[in-house]
Amino acid sequence: MNPVYISLLITAVAMPVGIRWRKVSYSLVIAGSLVLAVFTLLGSGATAYPLAYFSLVAAIAWILISVFSMTYSAGYGKWLTPLFAMTVFGMMVILESSDYVTFIVGWEIMSIPAYASIGLNKEHWNAAYVFMVFSEISTVFLIIGAILAVQETGTIDFRFQSLQSDVPLLLFAIGCMTKMGITPFMISEWLPIAHGNAPANDSALFSATMTLMGVFGIVRIMLLSPPSIYLGFFLLAVGVLTVFFAALFAYVSENMKMLGGFSTIENNGSILAAIGLYVTLGEGVLKTYLLAVILIFALAHSVAKTGLFIGIGTTRKESFSEIDSRKSSYLTLGWFLVTMSLSGLLPTVGGLGTWMLLESFFMGAYQYGLIGIASVVAGSMIALAEGLASSSMMKVLSFSQVHGLPKGGMKNSEGYVLFATGGILVLLFVLANFLIQPQFISGLPSVLVYNGFTIQSRFSTADFGLISPLYVLIIIFFFALAAYLVFDRRRGKQRVVPRWNGGVDFNQYYTSFAYASNIRLMLKGILRTRVRDGNRQMSVVDVFWFAMQSFASGYRRFSRQFAYRVMNSSITWYMIYMIVAFMLVLILAFVI
Amino acid sequence: MRNSIWFLKGLRNGKKTEKFPRADPKDPPLWPSRLVGSGTSKCPTNAIEDGKWNAGKCISCRLCMPEYKPTGDQSNYKITGSVPGILSRSFYIYPVDSGTCGACNTELLSILAPQYDASRVNIFFTNTPRHADALLLMGVYTEGMDQVISKAYEAMPDPKLIIALGTCAVSGGIIGKSPHLSKDALIEIAGCPPSPYTILEALVRAKEGKR
Amino acid sequence: MQYYKTTRGGGRYIGQTRSFSVYSDSITPPIKVEKISTEIIPGELVFNYGPSTGGLTESVRIALTTPGEIIRAVKVDPSYKLRRLKVVGLNLIDAFLQIERINGYHSSSYQAAFIKAAEDALLVEKSRGLDEELILQMELERIRSHLNVLERLCEPAGFGVPFHQIAQMREEVSRLISAIFGHRYFFGIHTLPHSELRIPAGVTEITKGIERRFALLFESLQDSKIFVNRLQGNGKIQKIWLVGPAARAAGLQYDARIDSPSIDYSKYSFEPFIDDGKDAFARFLVRGNEIFSSFAIVNQILSKGKPETADLREIRGTGIGASRVESPQGDLFCYLSVDDGRVKSIEFCAPSVSNIIAFEQSMQGNIFTDFHFNWESFGIWISEAGVEIE
Repeated sequence: MNPVYISLLITAVAMPVGIRWRKVSYSLVIAGSLVLAVFTLLGSGATAYPLAYFSLVAAIAWILISVFSMTYSAGYGKWLTPLFAMTVFGMMVILESSDYVTFIVGWEIMSIPAYASIGLNKEHWNAAYVFMVFSEISTVFLIIGAILAVQETGTIDFRFQSLQSDVPLLLFAIGCMTKMGITPFMISEWLPIAHGNAPANDSALFSATMTLMGVFGIVRIMLLSPPSIYLGFFLLAVGVLTVFFAALFAYVSENMKMLGGFSTIENNGSILAAIGLYVTLGEGVLKTYLLAVILIFALAHSVAKTGLFIGIGTTRKESFSEIDSRKSSYLTLGWFLVTMSLSGLLPTVGGLGTWMLLESFFMGAYQYGLIGIASVVAGSMIALAEGLASSSMMKVLSFSQVHGLPKGGMKNSEGYVLFATGGILVLLFVLANFLIQPQFISGLPSVLVYNGFTIQSRFSTADFGLISPLYVLIIIFFFALAAYLVFDRRRGKQRVVPRWNGGVDFNQYYTSFAYASNIRLMLKGILRTRVRDGNRQMSVVDVFWFAMQSFASGYRRFSRQFAYRVMNSSITWYMIYMIVAFMLVLILAFVI
Repeated sequence: MRNSIWFLKGLRNGKKTEKFPRADPKDPPLWPSRLVGSGTSKCPTNAIEDGKWNAGKCISCRLCMPEYKPTGDQSNYKITGSVPGILSRSFYIYPVDSGTCGACNTELLSILAPQYDASRVNIFFTNTPRHADALLLMGVYTEGMDQVISKAYEAMPDPKLIIALGTCAVSGGIIGKSPHLSKDALIEIAGCPPSPYTILEALVRAKEGKR
Repeated sequence: MQYYKTTRGGGRYIGQTRSFSVYSDSITPPIKVEKISTEIIPGELVFNYGPSTGGLTESVRIALTTPGEIIRAVKVDPSYKLRRLKVVGLNLIDAFLQIERINGYHSSSYQAAFIKAAEDALLVEKSRGLDEELILQMELERIRSHLNVLERLCEPAGFGVPFHQIAQMREEVSRLISAIFGHRYFFGIHTLPHSELRIPAGVTEITKGIERRFALLFESLQDSKIFVNRLQGNGKIQKIWLVGPAARAAGLQYDARIDSPSIDYSKYSFEPFIDDGKDAFARFLVRGNEIFSSFAIVNQILSKGKPETADLREIRGTGIGASRVESPQGDLFCYLSVDDGRVKSIEFCAPSVSNIIAFEQSMQGNIFTDFHFNWESFGIWISEAGVEIE
């Protein structure tokens, strides 16, 4: 028996256990994840590199979330934990599936408890319905894609096999994209988290790992599909569009979880752009490099997003302006590392991922023809969005831990989990050498950087770019130490004075809302900002949701009008319809 | 001359800066300036006592004429103590208005005009006491500004000094009494209001370390 | 009081004193003035500016309520440098020494308002010569004050060359005033036993030179799109209670030089310059163009030789008087009650109070970078808003 089934069994047991004994259930989930991770590393999973990689990433995220959940889920009712375990079970099924049917079954098992937990919490069924609608749309696309893929083989063998056409990939991608919250389906991601008020551990689960399953699905089929320029461009365009808009909406969000949701969408957009570029290319070094990019980026995102939601969970509040928790060194450091990773800064693995992503677009610019031009455009937009993402993360860090909060330390162990997440991000950064294909690892012995410690980007035999994570970490550490020693407060004559604010005792703090108002005003057109003077503040609108709603209400109006006109309960007209239908059938019978 | 190149317009205007204080002032006002005279005379601020004229209390009301007459001499200031030499190349002033009529404020800002050009003698203004070498007080004592002035003084790094500008700051003039910190002033510039010549000469001499 | 009724119904609203509401033809018991609410909506913050900070000439605390980049409300607090002047009970000369120091930069306007109110109280025959001297004072002061406002507008725009050129012109005007009157701020003129006025030779050459250079600079400033852009659309306000350049920049024909009987300007064929832009640029234009009309009046007076100076010693008796003059900021009203040559009660209605309210209302909806231009365009003097005269 495949030893991975042990992990499935353990997680399955966690479901009923969770109804009564929460902590035991979460411990079982942790155990199941550990088993999965260990066996994947040992190479006995259902899939080999690079897909086995996703299991490892997911396992890390699940372990962190479960540890956090043990203290967090105290006040949320008895159904949260079993539903949580069921979602994890579904995801495990997806990761270990070797045919389309199991995959789709796992997809459903993953999604259904999600609707339930969103709805049950605070009885906000509207958000649950939205989530359900888009989730089922994604399942429909997956099913159609699976059917087309199987059709190619000519048999009824649902196992994953190489494909000739790119249409299954397109359909599968659309299905997964809906789940990942890609434009224009962004609402499927941020609405349930923010407005459904999903508890932070669920938010972490949805944002970090459920969207990871979307990436996994696309990658799985992508590895079996032939290269295709048009499909690749389509994915690239959608990815780039998503990155920009999601980063923008993240920046102006006041609700912490909404910001997190948009940040997920933005990262998924980056991954989709990388996937798009991968699909356009024929076999070659750049293509292999892109695979590494996708994996590292997905890894960085999952762990960091988990950290972000864990951090939001520790505040127990919904929006930035309500935060009243206390500062503590562990929390601050954890927050700092997590937001650094999401901003794409070294020495975290998120920084490595961003570097690799932008490098691949730089290299893409050297390709001939349309691919080169597309790479330039895509790379610029992604860099632009990364800037907005960094600002959003700065906002998160400032208003959650730095800004105007009293010192006092943590109330419970949740801060340690956050700190551990941050530490893992740095650790992964240093160990990234082991996660990337050996052809990109080398060294620069002439400057004491030994073999095995640099990661290179290449699209032919010559090197393009270079980074050495361990040495970056060492240098940063030494500079920081030097700065600390020079500016240490205990040295020299220093007088501590109160703040100067025009001579009065007035301590004011810049609010998180005001922080983002510059973009709200500058990009009035895109955000549809409305500034009301008098008693309201500025408000912005998610244009895609607005467009969808307008379209939906327009359609409803149209169908109502159509119904009144056509089904107008007049016998004469019904007779005419019957005669027309009869004639059409006759004609069709003749033709066919 | 309707081009928009301001630099050329500036050049065309020529150099207007006077050589003061290295040379005599070109157009000094009669009031305020040093008075000479003798005897007693009506003075609403008691600036004339025992036949001696006290510049720090004079408000240029001219009621003491004709016993006392103005000379046009602009050195209406007093420097007590020494200014640290470290400030002679770069002297940043933070002005605080305690309770002025507005005349001292504008006369102080007039030293930036081309005729006087304080920046050529390394005198500058700063927007925050944190970057200031000198706290310049103008106007009489007012309750609202008392705390503000103390806070500003505390916010300044060492070495720092206090300048009292105008008769109101030095002695209260006819309006009120002088602000508390004026008592520690190292440089007292008298006049109602002191002319830019007086202000510039006082600041330059203080900066160079002369009394 | 010859010119002011004490019942309602006379002309436009000027402002409030301690005991009256002042209109252009009458004074009435005070009316209630509504205040702007500055309550904070969630997400907003109050940005504190002042009372002691760079960028402001005087000490004033300005609290800006903002949800980010735009300013939703402004509250100006001029009470930090509140001075209390004790004038009641003093004879006119001693009182005058303090009155001319209420707002040193607009000292002539206060001097003129006080002297005219005293003449009105004691029914002194108006002498043409005295009016001429006061007009000379006030117009020279107007030129310098408007130059100061233009200079302060150039500074936040980072316009170094115009800033310094205007500063140089302003200094030349100050020296001219000093040459004619003996003191750069017109102090000590009317308390002297005899007139110290001097008309230096070639004085009209000096004034014409300054005027010519200013005309060139003014045109260049209007050509500079960067500068004009900062001012246009900034701080729009049009209300019927506006005074001074702010009113004339909103298309309102309000000028005490033509509708106040206190000082007679009819000899000078003077027309106020009106613009209807309502914004900071219009106020800039109004002030710039008024400099030219003021120069015309000054040249006219100076070419006729030395005018006579009023002597406060000659004014004695008992009575109640009121006067309204046009200070560079707007209408300045003075109510004076004299008892046997001593001040019994005195009240001023300063234009800066009205301009502060206008500023607060005009600032709504503008962004932070517009703040300085709008503030300077009103030319507010806190020393006359934050003062109590007892």
